Amino acid sequence: MNKVNTATSSRVIKNFFSQTIVLAQRSLVSELRQIATVLPGLLFPLLLAFTYTEQFERVLSLPGFPEVDSFLDFLLPATVLQMVSFGASNSGTELALDIENGFMDRLLASPVARVPVLIGRVGGSALLAGIKTVIIVLVFLADGAQISSGFAGFLVLTLSACLLVVVIGGLSQILAIRSGSQEVVGATFPLIFVMIFMSSAFFPTELMSGWFKQLAEFNPMTWIIDPLRRLMIVGWSWSDAATALGILFLGSVLITGASVRTLHKKLGRP
Amino acid sequence: MNTQTLPKAANGISLSIAMAVCRRGILRVVSRPTLLLPIVFMPVIMLVSFTGAFGSLTRIEGYGSENIYDWMAPYVALQGSVFAGVFGSASTAEDFETGFFDRLLLTPGSRSSILLGTVLVSAIRSLFPTAGVIIVSLLGGLNLSGGLPAILLLTAASALMASVFCLFSLAIVYRFKTIRSLMIVQLVAFTSFFMTIGQVPLEFMTGWLHQVARFNPTTNVLRFARQGFLDGITWELTWPGIVVFVAANAVGSVLAFRSLRRIGS
Repeated sequence: MNKVNTATSSRVIKNFFSQTIVLAQRSLVSELRQIATVLPGLLFPLLLAFTYTEQFERVLSLPGFPEVDSFLDFLLPATVLQMVSFGASNSGTELALDIENGFMDRLLASPVARVPVLIGRVGGSALLAGIKTVIIVLVFLADGAQISSGFAGFLVLTLSACLLVVVIGGLSQILAIRSGSQEVVGATFPLIFVMIFMSSAFFPTELMSGWFKQLAEFNPMTWIIDPLRRLMIVGWSWSDAATALGILFLGSVLITGASVRTLHKKLGRP
Repeated sequence: MNTQTLPKAANGISLSIAMAVCRRGILRVVSRPTLLLPIVFMPVIMLVSFTGAFGSLTRIEGYGSENIYDWMAPYVALQGSVFAGVFGSASTAEDFETGFFDRLLLTPGSRSSILLGTVLVSAIRSLFPTAGVIIVSLLGGLNLSGGLPAILLLTAASALMASVFCLFSLAIVYRFKTIRSLMIVQLVAFTSFFMTIGQVPLEFMTGWLHQVARFNPTTNVLRFARQGFLDGITWELTWPGIVVFVAANAVGSVLAFRSLRRIGS
């Protein structure tokens, strides 16, 4: 009897993973097919980074600014997270599209479990974010930027980018399930834009003042960017790596749980 | 008599049709105020973000102003106006998708009247982000040393920039007939504004950006719009801006009209 149970549960787990991988593959292929919509999200943060590097060189001498060789070193984590954020809500938009055109109904009528439908889609976006992070880091390194914490720091940065996609993608999926509209999901873009600009992404909070400084300090983006930046410009630190990854991991677990619960609520318990 | 006047109307610009298209565009905004949200909300957010994050730039010697709002407000207002222009053409793309534009082409007026009406709506829409940015800047501590003339100059620059980008967007929309195609114009708009004296003076820039910003026509537009907020209005900073407005509107008009004329041919 126990053997039968073990065999059944291992088959369920196997199915769960294979379904997740297939759906992640579908999501990745769908994003890569629309390369024209992927490219601006990659090029714009790069353009912004190189423009800021050339216009903010004098800022490096301001008291309170971290010691860096170039503004490019300072910007690396912000550019990666900005690039990731731009495409992160795609998994929600694609889910809303599937709801609009009826594909979601067909998917749910098939023997596919519900959770892979959500995780698979976000997984594909996270993988693409990892690839884009590698491209951005290579471009930065080619232009003379340095990663003080070496390969370990690069790994933390890439993992952080992937986890941020899970957080933002999960939030956009909750919106997609609730509204079933691409337009509503698309409307979250300004919010992400605001969160990045109102953080320490482009300037250290030490050089800000008043209510904006407080807002930036309470912005979760700052909690992620600051430790990542220290890894890039100061050197390896277990505490910085754990802080950035810990916050994002916790956020990923909570948001994924919430999106699964929202889907169950919408469809009724299986 | 009527048969004689109709062809004449079809060849020249009919102001009544242009005004009708313009009125329709305004009514659209009035009936759906949410359409205004992105064009007012985004510039205001950018203003708050740029002034908040980059406020300490004023501590560096040689920065154009001691008050960050004086420097950033015209820049952000112009950027908002550009998006008002692009969004104006997005309504045309929507008309293509719903089939309304085909019916509009069947009207007895000339096609240029439709073009003129759409550009007028965009110019009027540009007033909303400009007003939003000025109000929030005044609350934030804008000096506005140039007073009313400074505001008028900025408003004129905003309307003219909205018309320029509306024309360029229309040239693309008339050809591709989709909202998605506007992404190209948005990217060009963002790029042309970031590579100017928008956030820092030319002297602060190094390397390739210094050269690009120096020769970027948008730099002259910014000097034109910003002068009233800084050291006062001078002809020296005004005429290069006028040249850019005239040239860009002329080129945009030719491109948009050529695309419009090709529809259905």
